[in-house]
Formats: sequence, structure tokens, C-alpha cells
Amino acid sequence: MSNNRVTGRLLTAAAVAALAAGTLSACGSSAGSSSDGGKEASSMYTWISNENDRAQWQAFVDAAKKKDPAFNLTLEGPSFNDYWTKVKTRLSSSGAPCIITTQAARAQELKDLTVPLDDMVKSNNVDVSMYNKAMIDGLTVDGSLRGIPYDAEPVVLYYNKDLLSAAGVKEPTPNYTTAQFTSDLKALTKGGVTGLAVPPGFGAGPGLPLAFANGNEPVKDGKLDLTNQGLVQDQQFAFDLAAKEKVATAPQASDGSDVPEQQFMSGKAAMIIDGPWMYDTLTTKTQGKVGIAVIPSTSGQGIGMIQGSAFAIAASCKDKETAFKNIMKITTPEVVGAVGAARGTVPSVESAIKDWAGNKPATDVAVVEALLKSGRPLVTTPTWNQVETNFTQYSGDGFRGSKSAQEILSTIANSAK
Amino acid sequence: MMTALPTLAVKNAKKPAWVTGHGKLAAVYLAPGMLGFFIFIVVPLVASLVISLFDWPLFGTPKFVGLENYTRMLTGDPVFWTVLGNTLFFAVCYTVLNLVLALAVSTWLHNLGSWGPFFRVLFFVPVVTPMVANALVWRLMLTDDGVVNSFLANFGIHGPSWLSNSQLAMGSLIAMSLWQGIGYNIIVLGAGLNGISPNLLEAARIDGAGAWQRFFRVVLPMLSPSLFFCTVMTIIGSFKVFTQPYLLTLGGPGESTNTIVLYLYRNGFSFDKLGYASALAWALFVIVMLITALQFSQQKRLVNYDN
Repeated sequence: MSNNRVTGRLLTAAAVAALAAGTLSACGSSAGSSSDGGKEASSMYTWISNENDRAQWQAFVDAAKKKDPAFNLTLEGPSFNDYWTKVKTRLSSSGAPCIITTQAARAQELKDLTVPLDDMVKSNNVDVSMYNKAMIDGLTVDGSLRGIPYDAEPVVLYYNKDLLSAAGVKEPTPNYTTAQFTSDLKALTKGGVTGLAVPPGFGAGPGLPLAFANGNEPVKDGKLDLTNQGLVQDQQFAFDLAAKEKVATAPQASDGSDVPEQQFMSGKAAMIIDGPWMYDTLTTKTQGKVGIAVIPSTSGQGIGMIQGSAFAIAASCKDKETAFKNIMKITTPEVVGAVGAARGTVPSVESAIKDWAGNKPATDVAVVEALLKSGRPLVTTPTWNQVETNFTQYSGDGFRGSKSAQEILSTIANSAK
Repeated sequence: MMTALPTLAVKNAKKPAWVTGHGKLAAVYLAPGMLGFFIFIVVPLVASLVISLFDWPLFGTPKFVGLENYTRMLTGDPVFWTVLGNTLFFAVCYTVLNLVLALAVSTWLHNLGSWGPFFRVLFFVPVVTPMVANALVWRLMLTDDGVVNSFLANFGIHGPSWLSNSQLAMGSLIAMSLWQGIGYNIIVLGAGLNGISPNLLEAARIDGAGAWQRFFRVVLPMLSPSLFFCTVMTIIGSFKVFTQPYLLTLGGPGESTNTIVLYLYRNGFSFDKLGYASALAWALFVIVMLITALQFSQQKRLVNYDN
């Protein structure tokens, strides 16, 4: 009797353990992994902050489907801010997507996660020269191409025409100088309105786009060059707009890019430096008419800072050839043109710019086209995420005047070697 | 017959407990738990110790560097000492304020009568609310044009930048953490107060002890086991502070609110320095272990378990 009871308990325990093991293994395989990697080759890991992002990626799929009705792409990913941290851990797990989104500015940082595309470009007879040259340069790491760009977006200055008109300020010209910019911001700052809305990040500006306009870049010969005098002076100029001139509100480290954008859209700030990818949102949701201008420079002959994104193939991908073919389906001139028309991203292919231009004012289109011609890509280093993170953390001190640009950029340069 | 029993007893005594009848059953029941403990606790623990001896990017080739990560942490990284100082400052301020306020509130609630349970629930609600949601609400409240400064503006006071001023940012994090965490200690200390025999307090009253004397000579000694538990748990929790600076200040401005776990997280998952992050994790483990050991060494002297 006693033995039977013990045996019964042992069987029960074994059944529970087997059930637990089964549940664990089922959970473990829930991510799904196919042996041939075919499913992953049609999956993309990207930033999906909101429905707007999801709609943009869906626009690529919809446009590609016009040529290939069987085409599909499954999407997954976190918000843009979390993407650069999470992409590394996601790609190191099983069943990771084959296609990932990258940027020219992050190509160096993600080089160990992505594969060179040169051989596949050659074997598939892809004409890379049709894509924006600055983007191709930015996506080239150690001599090999790491992504096919879908956009090429020179950072621009947005301004609220109504607020400028009310303050008696003339709209910026193609030869906009930093002296005139400061003077305009002073005139605009009154009655609860500040001249400029600023985010806490480095690449998001305003310091780095202003430095680019003056020909000063953060990387030289593949190494961080944050303490070159030109860059330091331009960043100090940006800090002083809030700290000394009081024509901008100092941001908080935890502010996302949406905080200054909300300030601009609600009419609390008259200008903002941002990417063309925000064109549709800012022109349609801002209280007042919006125009765009070049980033001001000391001489008035500025250089555009081109940012843009691309599709790359994860190093862990088992079926790289299929993944590459999928990427090529969503980066044709027709597709990037259609997405540009529908979602406002500036196409990476020059011949598709006309689709993006659509019904936009000719002056706005001219600004972007001029900056695309003069622009240079934001090329960074493998430690760029550390630079961005530290700058965001320290920028509050800079915009409040408690630390100088020299101090902040030196500290970051030392820690992100 | 007389000689067989001792032989059997000796045989069973030699066998380990887990091979005897009930022992086997216990081993089967314990196996899944022990397996989980081994896979999810022991293996990562050993792995992190090994990784701390390497220059280990998530992608790329790991390189053995011996104790270099530890040397760098102690002698070549000024940020480590800053974040350690910040964490210590947070731990001391948070723990002291938490215990003093929790003791005061729980004593007040203990004597409040029928309204006691209502307020106890009220104080406990933030504990069971997700930290992320709490932090986001506090961030909105403490921004330059948030609720707090708008309220102060009604009295003509120009509120400061609570989260962007180096002098105030850490204080803001402590205030938010207190609001979030104090309810737990209030419940534990409240239970401890309920366990004190009214006879003891009555006897002290008859002996002529005043309210303060009864509190310091009777209540506090009888409450010392609960206070000891709260102190140990609160200190350990405060050394692990992460969510508040991550969501409210991102460690800024400058390094003023950067804590050791936030720094560890960034090194591991943002800066791709898994080896250095593991070394930081072990430093945190050693610090917390030493402080906890010190507390337990004083337990007999400070804690009264005599009923």
C-alpha cells in the first residue's frame, strides 16, 4: 500500500515535470524558427514607435506588391530610441529577422551585425550609382557596402510663417547666416513664444547640423573628432541660444524628439531644426503655415547634413540571397518614390524625387534639392551610441550654461574612445 | 532478531536522505526547482564572472583581459566613483527617510481606528502600480511647466527645473522613490505593531511611562525584528535603483543622477561592453553583500527577538 502510494506520487511528479518541460519547450519555440531560414528572410526588425511608423513600413510592402503580389514582409521592433540598444540583443537570439533597418550614421556601429552586400550587388546586377552618393558613402564601412538606402534626408530648418510675420521677421533666404538667425530668434522670442525648439540629442541638433553647415564634422579619418575647435564653437553657439540669448528653452535629458516638435506644432516655438521625414507632420499639424529653409551658417553658404536610412542583412541570416532579393524589391525607384509620395520620406533615388515633390511648394522642394546636392553624410564611429547617450545626459548642463561645449565634448570624447 | 535491528539502522544511517523512500520523492519534487535555480541563477552567475575577465562585445570576438576590467573600474574610470557615490547617497537618504516616515505613518495608522485600513490601502497603492507608469507621471509633474511648477506659480513662486538642475535632480528621484516604495514598509511595520501585546504597553503605562518612553522603551524594541527586515530589504532595493533615473533623468544632468545599475545597463547593452558591465555587476554584488553581512553581524545586538 505504502509502496503503491509512493509510486503513484512519483508518477504524478514525473507527469508534472514532463508537463512543465513541455510548456517550457513550447514557450522556447514560440519565437518560431524555421530550419531553412526562409521565414526570417521575409522578416524585418525595425523601429516601430507608433502607428505612423507601422504605416510607413506597410507603404513599402504595398508599393512592392504592385509588382509582385506575392511579396510580403513581417515587421517587428521597438521604438526608435530603443532600437539601437535592442537590435543587438534581438539579432543574437534564435529566429531573428534577416532584414534590419540601419542608418548611414549608424553603419559603423552596426558593422558586426550586418554583412557586406558587394558580392550580392554584383551577382544581381544592381546599379548602386542610382542611389544618393552621400548615403552610399555613409553606408560604406571598411570599403564594403552595408545597406541599400531608401531615403536621403538633409536636415532642414522649419519655421512658422505666421509667427515670423507677426514678429516682423523676413523669411530665411538661401544664404541664411547665423548672425541673421540669432537676430531673427531674438525678435521672435516674446509673448510666451520662443525662437527655437531644441531637443537634447546630438545628431538631432541644433549643434551638429549647424556645425555641418560650417563644414565641421564629428569624425575625422574614421576616428571621433569631437573636440575640433570648429565643432566646439558651433556647439557652444547652439548652447548659448538657450543659456545666454534666451531664445530657446533648455531641454531635459529625458525629453524625446516629440517634446520640441510639440512646442513647434503648438506655436510655442517659431523654428525647429528637424529632418524632412517630419515634413508632412509638421506642415499639417502646426498652428500656422510652415516653411522650410537651409540650416544657417557663418558665411551663409551652408552644407547640408544628410541623414538617411537603409535596409541591411543581419550577419546571423541563413538565407542572405533571399533577404537581398526582398530588399531590392522595396528599394526600387518606383517603391521609394511611392513611399516618398505617400509618407513624405525623401527618396534615395534622384529620379524618384519628383514623386516626393508632388504638390509641395516649389520653394520647399528647392531647399531639399539644394541641400541634397551640397550635402555630406553624417558618418560616425562604432561608439556613436555612447556619444549620443552621453550627449543627451550632459546637454542639459550645456543648454543651461553650467558647463561649456568644450567641457562636455571633451568628457564624451574621453569616455567613448 | 535482536541483532538485525541495529544493523538495519546502521545501513539506513549511511544512506543519504535523498535515496531513501521519502527522500526520493522529495528529490523528484525539488528537481524542477533546482534545475531552474541552476539554469537561471547559477549558470548566469558563473557566466558573468567569466565574462568580467574578457573584453566581450555582444558581436565580435571576445578577448581575455584578466583583471583589466576591475583595474579600470577602480583606477581608470572616474565615472564609476561618481555613480557609486550617487548610489550611496541615494541609498542612505532613501533608506533613512523611508524608515523614519514609514514608522511615523504606521504608528499614526495604528492609532487611527476605523480609518486605518483605508489609509493603509491608499499608501500601498503606489507599491502595486507599475514603476514605469509612476515614473512617467512624475516626469510630467516635474517638468519645467509641469503640475508642480504650475501650482507654485499660483503663489508667485517661479519653480526650479526639478529634473534638470544638478542640485535638485537626485532629490526629485528620492521623493518619487519614497512615494512609490514607502507603502511596503508601512504594511510590514503595521503588522509588527499589531503584534505587540497591549499588556506590555498597559504595564508600562501603570509603571508611569509617558508616551515617548513607551514608544522608545517598549514599542521600538518589540518592533526591532520588523525594522531589521525593512532596513535590510530597503538598503538592498535602493542599491539596485534603475527605473527612476532611466525614465526621469537618463542619469543627467551630467552624471548627477547616474546610478551603478544604470551605468551597468548602459555599458552592457548600449555601449556593447559586456565584460566591463559584468565587472560592475560583481562590484555591486560585493558591496551589497558586505553591507548586508555587516547588518546581520549586528543583528543580535540590535534586534530583540524576546517575546
